[in-house]
Amino acid sequence: MSWLSRLNPRGPGTRTGRHAAPTSPCTADPETCLMVFENHWRQVSRVLKQRESSVGGYADDLTAVRNHTDQMLCLLAEERPAGGDIDSPVGPILKMVVAENILDELVQWHVRRGLDPDSQLELLKLFEMLIGQSHQPLLLHSAVLQPLLNLLGACVDPQLGSPPALESSLVLLLNQVCVCMAKETAVLELIFRCGLVQQGPTNLLIFSLLVPFIHRDGSLGQQARDALLLVMATSASNHSVARHIAENSYFCPVLATGLSALYSSLPRKIEVRGDDWHALRREDWMAVSSLVLFMNSLEFCNAVVQVAHPLVRCQLLDYLHNGFLVPVMGPALHKSSVDEMIASTAYLDLFLRSITETSLLKTFLRFILLHRHDNDTILDTLLTRISSNSRLCMVSLSLFKTLLSLNCEDLMLQLVLRYLLPCTHVMLSQRRAVRETDLYGKSADKFLSLIPECCRITPAPSSERDDEPAFWGKVLGSPTSESPVHPRPSTPSRLALFIRQQSSGGQAIPPSSGSENAPSSPRGSVSSPLSPDSPVHQLPDTSEGETGYLEYLRDARKGIELCSWACRDWSAPYDGENPSPNSAPPPPPPPTSHPSLNMVQEHFSIMDRPQQRGAVVAAARAEWSSSDRDSGEWDVTISKNCISLTPRSKKRSLLSSSIPLQSSSSASVSTEMTGAVETVSQHSHSAPHTALYNGMGQVELTDSVDEKMEVKKVKRDSDVNNSMVESGMNGSMGIGSVDYNDFHVGSTMKSSQVQVKPHLQHQTSVPTSTQECLESESQRLSPVPALTETSTVPCDSRGPESVERLIEELLERAPSEPLTGDSKCQGISIEAFHQELRELEERVRERRVLSRSSEESSREYRTAPTPSLTDEDCLPVEIEQRSSETKPESYATGVFSPARPLGPPLAQPYTGPFITVLFSKLESMMQNSLYVNILLTGVVFQLACYPQPLLRSFLLNTNMVFQPSVKSLIQVLGSVKNRIEAFAATHEDFPAMLRKARRFLVARGKLDWSDSPIGVPTLRRSDSLIKSRKPSLGDLILRHTNSPTRARHAAQLALAHVRDGGQSLHSALFRGGAAGGASGLEKQAEALRVKNAVYCAVIFSEFLKELAALAQEHSVALPFPPSQGAEE
Amino acid sequence: VKPCWILCAFLFSLSRSDGEEQVGQGEQKSSPARPSFGKKQLPSIPKNAVPITKAASPAPSTQSANGTHASYGPFYLEYSLLAEFTLVIKQKLPGIYVQPSYRSALMWFGVIFIRHGLYQDGVFKFTVYIPDNYPDGDCPRVVFDTPVFHPLVDPVSGAGVRRAFTKWRRNHNHIWQVLMYARTVFYKINTMDPLNPEAAVLYDKDIQLFKSKVVDSVKLCNSHLFDQPKIDDPYAISFSPWNPAVHEEAKEKMFAHKRRPEDYNKGLPVSGLSWVKPGSTQPFSKEDNPLQT
Repeated sequence: MSWLSRLNPRGPGTRTGRHAAPTSPCTADPETCLMVFENHWRQVSRVLKQRESSVGGYADDLTAVRNHTDQMLCLLAEERPAGGDIDSPVGPILKMVVAENILDELVQWHVRRGLDPDSQLELLKLFEMLIGQSHQPLLLHSAVLQPLLNLLGACVDPQLGSPPALESSLVLLLNQVCVCMAKETAVLELIFRCGLVQQGPTNLLIFSLLVPFIHRDGSLGQQARDALLLVMATSASNHSVARHIAENSYFCPVLATGLSALYSSLPRKIEVRGDDWHALRREDWMAVSSLVLFMNSLEFCNAVVQVAHPLVRCQLLDYLHNGFLVPVMGPALHKSSVDEMIASTAYLDLFLRSITETSLLKTFLRFILLHRHDNDTILDTLLTRISSNSRLCMVSLSLFKTLLSLNCEDLMLQLVLRYLLPCTHVMLSQRRAVRETDLYGKSADKFLSLIPECCRITPAPSSERDDEPAFWGKVLGSPTSESPVHPRPSTPSRLALFIRQQSSGGQAIPPSSGSENAPSSPRGSVSSPLSPDSPVHQLPDTSEGETGYLEYLRDARKGIELCSWACRDWSAPYDGENPSPNSAPPPPPPPTSHPSLNMVQEHFSIMDRPQQRGAVVAAARAEWSSSDRDSGEWDVTISKNCISLTPRSKKRSLLSSSIPLQSSSSASVSTEMTGAVETVSQHSHSAPHTALYNGMGQVELTDSVDEKMEVKKVKRDSDVNNSMVESGMNGSMGIGSVDYNDFHVGSTMKSSQVQVKPHLQHQTSVPTSTQECLESESQRLSPVPALTETSTVPCDSRGPESVERLIEELLERAPSEPLTGDSKCQGISIEAFHQELRELEERVRERRVLSRSSEESSREYRTAPTPSLTDEDCLPVEIEQRSSETKPESYATGVFSPARPLGPPLAQPYTGPFITVLFSKLESMMQNSLYVNILLTGVVFQLACYPQPLLRSFLLNTNMVFQPSVKSLIQVLGSVKNRIEAFAATHEDFPAMLRKARRFLVARGKLDWSDSPIGVPTLRRSDSLIKSRKPSLGDLILRHTNSPTRARHAAQLALAHVRDGGQSLHSALFRGGAAGGASGLEKQAEALRVKNAVYCAVIFSEFLKELAALAQEHSVALPFPPSQGAEE
Repeated sequence: VKPCWILCAFLFSLSRSDGEEQVGQGEQKSSPARPSFGKKQLPSIPKNAVPITKAASPAPSTQSANGTHASYGPFYLEYSLLAEFTLVIKQKLPGIYVQPSYRSALMWFGVIFIRHGLYQDGVFKFTVYIPDNYPDGDCPRVVFDTPVFHPLVDPVSGAGVRRAFTKWRRNHNHIWQVLMYARTVFYKINTMDPLNPEAAVLYDKDIQLFKSKVVDSVKLCNSHLFDQPKIDDPYAISFSPWNPAVHEEAKEKMFAHKRRPEDYNKGLPVSGLSWVKPGSTQPFSKEDNPLQT
């Protein structure tokens, strides 16, 4: 932070002109000036002498004194130091001032005759002029300094502070004094000693006068902060002053607690501008005055930490931790309303991005990693948010992206490495392989092979101008052809060639590769952009080719290089040997047992009994070897000590779902599966909550034809036992148990889940309150409150018959819906609208199924609900009963299995909550919104940049053999691939949709640079999809323009674009929509589902290339040697 | 003159060595599109170079039948060789320097400095030829520019060393091992299965004569040191007499050089954050923080 350098131009030099009266006599020779000065002084002293006679003083006197004083001080200010005399280069006027103590007498006289605010102001201004403009170090003379201090003392009431009218002059004067002080360090000492004599313990008056202005807004606060900072910098080497500041001033507490106060005035809810919004950018907060205020103060803290004496710094950090982070940030992050969670998470992210000082960062990180709020570390809390509804998820992902970009060992240790350290996740025989690099590109090959067949674009017949042969092919084809060689000094050798080869098909690459992500960008992605002027994007559809791979390689290289550079001073290599796996402390178990923990549990199936575990593991292993990862199904298993994900085949789950719930102890895999299914159906039927809560696409339906047919069949044969279970699973949750994740946020999995449970309890007793709470819930959660509200009413009160009416109502309502009233939001709210529709439709459908099968299903519940309940009511009640009966810590066990856990299984490998939540989110990529996927893959990319063999091998070594219960990235990706392919198989227009989606993404990526003449630098290339994949739309629009109007204009343009893109995609999807045309609503829901899936297919393919590139680059990366102390 | 990249690439070895081989460290021909200082990577292929991959036979690592991602095949070979090269760098083989050719990643130029023993003061230039079906082919061949008198070096072709790896096994054998072996044979003379039977016999029967022949051979090799490289390649290693005007600066840069990430200057805000005490796995276990002074 260049705070100090920013201060410099503020020196007196820039401020001439204000008092540089043209008539100034200073041009005259010093002799004359002195004579003039003496003359004035004579006049003044005549007045001063009269003091005894007239205590009140006459106005004439005052005017006279003022006039003369003006002149005198002007002369003094203009005087140049005497040239000849080296020992005391003091001009004659100053000499006289010192000798006769003129200033002191003047001030004394004023003070004695009673200072009215007017003359106070006058004097302050005079002194300010004098100090600001003097050519001599006046403050070195106590004849100047002392009267100044006296004046200040007289102007400011120690209790009341300075009168408002004086504030600006006062601060300006103090600022000038501090500027002088910075230039002449001796002044500080002098002030300090003067103060010591006069004011006793509350010395350093100048300093304490400034402190109250620390948090002021506007230029006043800025001046005060600048001045204080100068004091800090000047005192950095002065121990006694530093001690004084630390011990006798309120500087640090005021600064820290002021932050708390400012934080409390921040908006609790962040007005969300688009469905891709996920982080606060500068442009976002510049318009929010309270946030500006806060950020100013935070930046000031940062600057103080940077320059201040260690004593002061330590104290400040202490106060920040104990006076701001713990009492304010902690609770704020644990607020129960989603809006507040979003806001506080985004704030924290912003703060972390704004801080540059290492020790301040340490304070924040310490708080995040170690501080426990209600038993959980902040980190735990933040982790759970990733699996929540989409906005909160995005904000949290963004925060973790920021955290990862810090490359902090302590953080990575807590987040990931400590779980990998014991090496229990790999087979014993594989431990050696942890350090191996992928020499022959096997892993890269594996990743690339996972690109779904359907996503490998066969060029569209007409639109492709170049059919993108492999670059190498081009080279081979024309080995001697002169491709233009552009000297690109920083291009990594061979890659440069590829790029050149590419460009030979297009046009020359202007050598402007100096683009870089602005560090302030929320997406400070390690991978920095290339020149966006790469020729390829000028071609119409090149994005559909695989041109991006080189860029991915380059990004990967940069990411890895930066990361390993940043990690070079870590305490250990984390290579599976150092730190030793044996000495590593066992990582903490999965946090299942904290009742207070608002942890989003994944699905709980019963894995407690060892024999069960054995069976499951064996089964899983068998399945694994036979089906070779074909199954997309996983069981997330949570027992006391671990969350694990176990593969499960479709067949098995279908089978198990037909088995009614057993409470026998002949537990087998299928029992557990049943348990799983049960829970799923439960939660999927608690529809309103889940649907709302999950925001984006979590309630997705089928992922294959079979499953969809399943659902339909179920609808018909609704009298079949268990049909609900089946439909619940195959319908809502067919995607896999990972989805529970999100469900459990909002559902009453545990009593600890403060979010929803209270509402549900209400439901039992007062049915109507259900609606209310749903409404309130939806209002909180939904960006389109009105819409949800209306949707809830008919849904709850009328039941399935009124679906059509409801839809009509909705559609009627929708267009006139008062969104935010802002034109630029329309494109986005359409998305939101679809979202709502889809969720609603989901609920409706579930209800339909439920209404027919509720009786059957109800007897499956151990706690059978009152039969007389209506369809609409019975579910919530069931849930409520279940949740109330269930012990929080062993919900699944309590309900589904009579057996209590015998004890935690031994050393079950657990790769930690971060990996778990990322993987489960990845697994549900098909249902995630585009923006969630963009962020999510970005985070995984960043994680995979880390060079530590433990982490690298876990994520990128596809040849590693993990323990069966440990899910690998490649397995997760494999299941996503299968789903995408299954999806594509059921949509014959998939290729067309895919092309459209790509085109849209590319267009989106182009937005940023096409609009602004100056906007190029921060962008990634636009020829490949990655670019559009990385930064958010709002970011793209807003980043490059500071003018609000221009930004708005850009935003409108861009959003229009997006809207068009989105809508055309929508319409395309509609035409091909397989929804069966039952209702418009279903169609739309289907369309959204399809849209998410298609976008997912695009992102997924690009993500795989990215991972492959990372795997390749890791194998050729050279480590950086440690920096050996202070080397930079 | 920009310092040549190979020197930086071998900074590790250099900084370890005592600097004895400043005897005219290769000053390279300037070449087009030279990578920036500090790049460790293979050099660019010049625009008119014939790429190394065999046009006819597809890269071995792209078995993919559908062929769609076969287009990534070239990357695999490139990166495999890059990875091998990286391994060489990491090995920090004393007295050995190699650099892939400008034209082909399958051809590496090298030089070996013998610091003691019978071949002391020998400076032998060699070329490594990597089979184009690497890593599934044979052992890379090492051919000395001037056939040094040695039982394991063919007196005519200069080929040597290969014998040590009868079968090249991917994942087990690496190019650095070949280089390592090439160095070792000059310190520990082995006459088994010689390529130069005369030398072998002499070594066993008349060590004195062998020694004098070796001395002659070393002299001969060193007298050809400043010859133009046998293979015309911008990245071939060429020696020139020590010229302070040229070499002093390059040498200084070499020793002063610190490798940095490409984007080092562009806002890498904080780096190297760690408060973990070495040996501990607890966050913030370091008592005092040396990072901030």
